[in-house]
Parts: sequence; C-alpha cells; structure tokens
Amino acid sequence: MMVDNLSIFNFSKVVKKTIISIVTFVIILYSLDFVIGRTLRYLYFNEKSGYQFRTTYAMDSTKADILVFGSSRASHHYCPEVFEDSLKMTFYDTGRDGIGILVQTAILKSVLKRYTPKIIILDYFGDFEANKNSFDGPAFLLPYYRTHEEVRKTIELNDSFERVKLISEIYPFNSQILSIVSGNLKVSKKRITDNKGYIPLYKEWQARIDSIETYKTHPIDSVIKNTFREFISIAKKSGAKVFIVYSPVFEKYDKKRAIEICTDICNSENVPFWDYSKDTLFLNNRHLFQDVLHLNNNGAKIFSNIIAEKIKDNIYQSQPNGNPGQPILKMKSR
Amino acid sequence: MLFNSLPFALFFIVVTTLYFLIPHRFRWLLLLASSCYFYMAFIPVYILILGFTIVIDYFAGIWLEKTEGTKRKYFLIASLVANIGVLAVFKYYNFLNTNLSALLNTIGYRNTIPNLSIILPIGLSFHTFQAMSYTIEVYRRNQKAEHHFGIYSLYVMFYPQLVAGPIERPQHLLHQFYEKHYFDYERIVEGLKLMIWGLFMKIVIADRLAIYVNAVYNNSVQHSGLTLLLATIFFAFQIYCDFAGYSNMAIGAAKVMGFNLMANFNRPYISASISEFWKRWHISLSTWFRDYLYISLGGNRVSVPRWYFNLFIVFVISGLWHGANWTFIIWGALNGFYLVFAILTENWRKQFNHFIYLDTLPRLHRTLQIMITFGLCCFAWIFFRANSLHEAYSIILKIITFSGPFYVGEWHQLVYGLAAIAFLLLVEFRRANLGQSYLPLITNHWLKEQLVYIMLIIIILLIGVYDGGQFIYFQF
Repeated sequence: MMVDNLSIFNFSKVVKKTIISIVTFVIILYSLDFVIGRTLRYLYFNEKSGYQFRTTYAMDSTKADILVFGSSRASHHYCPEVFEDSLKMTFYDTGRDGIGILVQTAILKSVLKRYTPKIIILDYFGDFEANKNSFDGPAFLLPYYRTHEEVRKTIELNDSFERVKLISEIYPFNSQILSIVSGNLKVSKKRITDNKGYIPLYKEWQARIDSIETYKTHPIDSVIKNTFREFISIAKKSGAKVFIVYSPVFEKYDKKRAIEICTDICNSENVPFWDYSKDTLFLNNRHLFQDVLHLNNNGAKIFSNIIAEKIKDNIYQSQPNGNPGQPILKMKSR
Repeated sequence: MLFNSLPFALFFIVVTTLYFLIPHRFRWLLLLASSCYFYMAFIPVYILILGFTIVIDYFAGIWLEKTEGTKRKYFLIASLVANIGVLAVFKYYNFLNTNLSALLNTIGYRNTIPNLSIILPIGLSFHTFQAMSYTIEVYRRNQKAEHHFGIYSLYVMFYPQLVAGPIERPQHLLHQFYEKHYFDYERIVEGLKLMIWGLFMKIVIADRLAIYVNAVYNNSVQHSGLTLLLATIFFAFQIYCDFAGYSNMAIGAAKVMGFNLMANFNRPYISASISEFWKRWHISLSTWFRDYLYISLGGNRVSVPRWYFNLFIVFVISGLWHGANWTFIIWGALNGFYLVFAILTENWRKQFNHFIYLDTLPRLHRTLQIMITFGLCCFAWIFFRANSLHEAYSIILKIITFSGPFYVGEWHQLVYGLAAIAFLLLVEFRRANLGQSYLPLITNHWLKEQLVYIMLIIIILLIGVYDGGQFIYFQF
C-alpha cells in the first residue's frame, strides 16, 4: 500500500483509508474522553469529604468569618474551636497538601467574588524560589477552569499549552480518579474527616533525625513573590483583616531569606507578620509534632491559642482606662 | 523539547506532513533543519559543539577513505581524540579534577585547578558514539565515506535519535537518507502505535514510579529497608520504562517517516542470565561496546584471564559512559563481575542443578533464573540510582537489616505504580509467549486494535504524570 508523496491530496485509496482511520480514531477517542470526563466531573463535585471537596467548599460555599489559607501546615495547625471560642466568629480552613501561594491566591479570588471574610490568615511556608515545584500546585485548580474564570490565569502560568490540554474532558481530573471514586463510595466515610477544614494529627514525632535535607537555594521567582504581594493586597482591599503567619517547625530550617522577604512585603503592605519558626516553645518538642513540619493536635491547640490571642489583641484597640477596647471589626457569630 | 510534550507533538506533525509533501530531493534539508531546531530547543549554543565534531568527522571520513597506510590511523586517532576530547571536557573534566584534588589532598598537596561551571550538552554521549562508529567503520573499510556534508550531518543529528539513541551504525542508517520513503499506511500506523506505547511507558509507568522512587531515594536516611527495597524494584521498572519508552517513541517517529532504527530493548527483565540481560538491554550501546571495544581488545580469542579482563573492563567503561560518578563505575563493574562470575561457575551451577533435579523442571528453572537475574540487576541499580557510594552502601545495609516502618506516601501513588508494573508485565509476558516484537497488541481485527490504542491514550489522560520532566538517559 504505497502512494507517491505528491499524491497525498489525490484521494487515492491509501489516503482515504488513512483519513477514515484517523477520523474514526479521533471520534471514538473524543467520545470516550467526553463520557469518562463528564462522569468524573459529576463525581468530583458530588464528593462529600476529602481534600477535593474541601477546596470546592472553600471556593463555592463557605461564608466563615475567619479563613485560613496555606498548604498542609495550614490544614493541621489551626484548631477551629479555639478561634471560634476566642474570637466569637465562624471559621474555615482552606489549607491543602502541596498547594503554594499561586493556588492559595486563586482560591482567595474565588472566595472574594462571593463574600468578604472578616479575618484572613495566610500560613506561609514557601521560599519564593524558582524551582519546578513552584508551579505544580495549579493542577489542583484544573477542575475549576471552566466554571471559575478567576483561576484561569493561574492555571495558564503552569504551561502555555494548558488550554489545548483542556480540550480533553478527562485531563482536569488527571491522577484523581481513585480519590474521586472513593469519595463517592461508602468507603468515603472512613476517610480522614476534617473539622471545618482542620485535620488534626494525633501522633507524636518519634523518629530519629539523621539529617535535615540540605537546603539548596535557587533564584528568587518574581512570579511567586508578586503573587504573595497580590494575595495580601487583594485580601486587604476586600476589607478583611489580614495576618501572615510562619507557623512552628520541629527543627530549625534555613529559611532566612524567605522570612526576610515576607517581613519586607508585610511591612510595605502594613500587615502583621508573625514568625514562629524559631519559637522555643515548639522547637524540638516531640510532644507537639507529628513530623518535622506538622504540629499534632496538642501542638495545634497551643499554637491556635497563641494566634487567636494575638489576633484578639490586634483587633481590639486598648483603651487608656484599661477597659476592653472597641473591636475594629464587628464580631458576630454566624 | 521533550518527546512527552505538546510542543513535540506539534513539531512532529508539522515536520512529518512537510516531509511527505515536499519532493524527495529536499527532504534531507527539511530533516536537517528540523533536527537543528529540535536540538537548539534545549541549549542553542551547544549546537556549535555538535557542529565541531561533525566537521572533524566528516573530513576524517573522507581522508580515511582516500589515504592508505599508517596515515589512516592518524586520521582515525584525530577523529577519536576530537570526539573523546569533547566528552572529556564536558562530561568528565570535573569528575577527574575532583578526584585528583582528593588524591592530592591525601598526600598533602592542594589542587588549584578550578572545576568548570558548565552544563552537560544533552545526549552528548549518544551522538559522540554514533559519530565515532562512523569513522571506525570507514577506517575498517566497512563503510564508504559520506561525501554529502548535509547527509552526514543528518546521520549525526537525525532528531528522533539525536539525544538518547538508539546509537545507529552508518551501514544501517546512512543509506536510508537517500531512499525515497512513500506514504505507507501500515508503516505509519505502526510507527504511531509505537509512539503511543512509548508515551504510555514513559508517563504512565516510569514517571509514576519516579514519584515514589524520588521520595525515598532523595531522603534515603529516613527510610526503612523494606521501603528502600520497594523503591529499588520500582526504580528497575522506572528506568526500563523511561528509556524503552523514549526508544519506542524515537523508533516510532522515525518509522512514520520511513526510517528503520535498530531496536534498543527486548523485554530485558525476562532474561534468565546477566549475559542474556545485556543482549536485551540498551542493545545499541551493548553492541557498540562489543563491536568497537570488546572485539578490539581481543574479545574471547585471547587467554582466559585476558578474556575475563576484557569483559570486566568493557563493563567498567560502559558504567563510566553513563555518568562521571563512582556510582556508575561500580554499577558497570558489578555487571562485569556478574558476567565473569557466571562463566567461572557455569559447570558448578550445572552440577548443582542436576543434583537438586532442577534441570528436570525447565520452566521452574527458568523462572528461578529470571528472578535471580532480576535480583542481581536490582542490586546493581542501587548504585546507579544512589547519589553517592556512601549512600548506596547505607541503602544496601538497610535493605539487609530490613528495619523500620514501611513508607506509603500517598497511597494512590503506590496503587497506580503497582498497577502499572502489573500491566507492563502482562504485556511483556504476552508478547513473549506470542513471539511478538515490541507492540502490546497485534491483531488483524481493525476495530479491536484501534480500541486498544484508544484505551492507552485514555489511561494516559487519566493517570499519566504530566510534569515528570525529562528522560533519565538525556543526562548521559
């Protein structure tokens, strides 16, 4: 079955056969992609638990007064009851494993389209560096590309071909099928449950630390740095009170440069930045950590109390006579 | 421009379409221009290095053809020095300098020669070896010198195999650039199927396994023996699928345009001995070392101790070819040791198998041999993957003692990884039983075949890893 190179347009048998084969292949592929992709979309947004559900809930449903943003450390370090009792406000934690400031900012934009929280806490653990991992997170936003215009820019930062890839209905749910399916089965009830986004950890850090990973520095990524500034800026503009927190770590990490950048940006934006990375109450205290980066429930409660008290101090202005001050924000439990 | 990226897909479609549209006499020019573009998509300036060796080897080839006597040897040596010199500067200089410093330190001297701050040109070892095979073959009078500079450049730069092989021989590839390739439906479909299967191996299997392997090996001190054992087994499949996946895509892309590249892998993990493994693993490199180094050293037509030395040294150099690190050298030496040990103990093993009646159960015997061979390969892979000899040593100790808790990480990564390996083994054993060459399914049923490849694409979309990065062998 051979045809001269010039006769490709001559509709000879072989070219017809090739075209028919390709068209058939593409039609079958597209149909299957459509059916499977749409099914996954339905199941994804039908989940009632799990990290995917929590992101959807944060973007589309929560109306909590206090919103916490950040990565896994955010989801394990802020105990809702402590904040609710102390500040008499409702609380939701949008923290999720493996997401960086790019995704956190996109989630914030979605939230602010619906309502303005009273307090926004950003738990920052990034390093502002240009490395591959900086842009991994936006994949978490792919299911929302079609419905949430505000996240598109962030997704397209990941790869300029992202729009082309999104022709596929399956692609937004890449690598999520097991989680989506289990989130729709009875087994989902056995999944780790959250408490208003907070996921308590109950173990104590026991393992020996042979060595902490050597810290390799990369150049500062202006996109990450600008996005951090953008997060603070839009959060402030919304009218919410913004607090940036560097929560405790078990061992001293060499994050001096990142903390300096955080301090600079927070100072220039006139936003409080609280650094607990070297707090001796937490450093090397195995009873308060589950692993080197994550507080356990006991640690989270202690840390939440500290933060809640600091926020309280910050939002109540002291009166000269020593009486409790007037709140800057009108506090009302929802 | 990685094979597992959308820019490459677009590049491939454009180049292939143009290839069949333009007259035959201009096709070499299209392929050369597109190969230059492909190479320059990595680090543009490095094309000058490639250009340097191409010019040297092109003229060396012509002079080797024209001249007689000892002069020919000088031309060959000049060509080899130029090629190996480029390798030495870009790949081995820092390694040699660092080791020299360590050596001088032990005797109280200080090495003041600084290391170079350079990035290794992508696929340097591959195209250098391909270029060397040309001058050696011309020297041996097995190949006529190529007088068309563009065609010779294309022989070195042909984009499907430019950065990671297969390392071709001039007798097999050069003449194909003169042949007129027709628009052949069966061949094009076969090439495309090979590309899909290669992509599947890379992003569904290799890159998925890499997530667990990297998490464990990049922090090996924190992990237990059982975890490290699983990560090592995963790495064995990762590196196979990474490299064989690339090779399949390269061979497939070339096949679509009408070029036949040599096979690079043939189900290596169903080998019953290390010797068989090396006939099935990275075939183009193994045969390169056999043809140009092992035979040049005398092969097995020498005294027995010298034969063992030849085998051993070829594998040590093969290890060094992979990377400028002692881990690669030990990996090569281990494989050389396995081979020599297998020859030394052949009779003893036969007697032992007869003694325990294993020779009466050929299937069980072969299964055991396959498992032992795989175990030996995995042991050697520890050195290949570890970041240092010290790390490799501590990993082996941990695996032996088996201590500590098992690391799961994200459970779905493990599920995907294990499922991917199971699927690969199913395909490999099926192909072995049916005697099929390299594609997962060959059938006369048109729709059935289409559906299989559609399902592969659906699986790629569902669980492929899109940010897995470049191929492991690109760094060599």
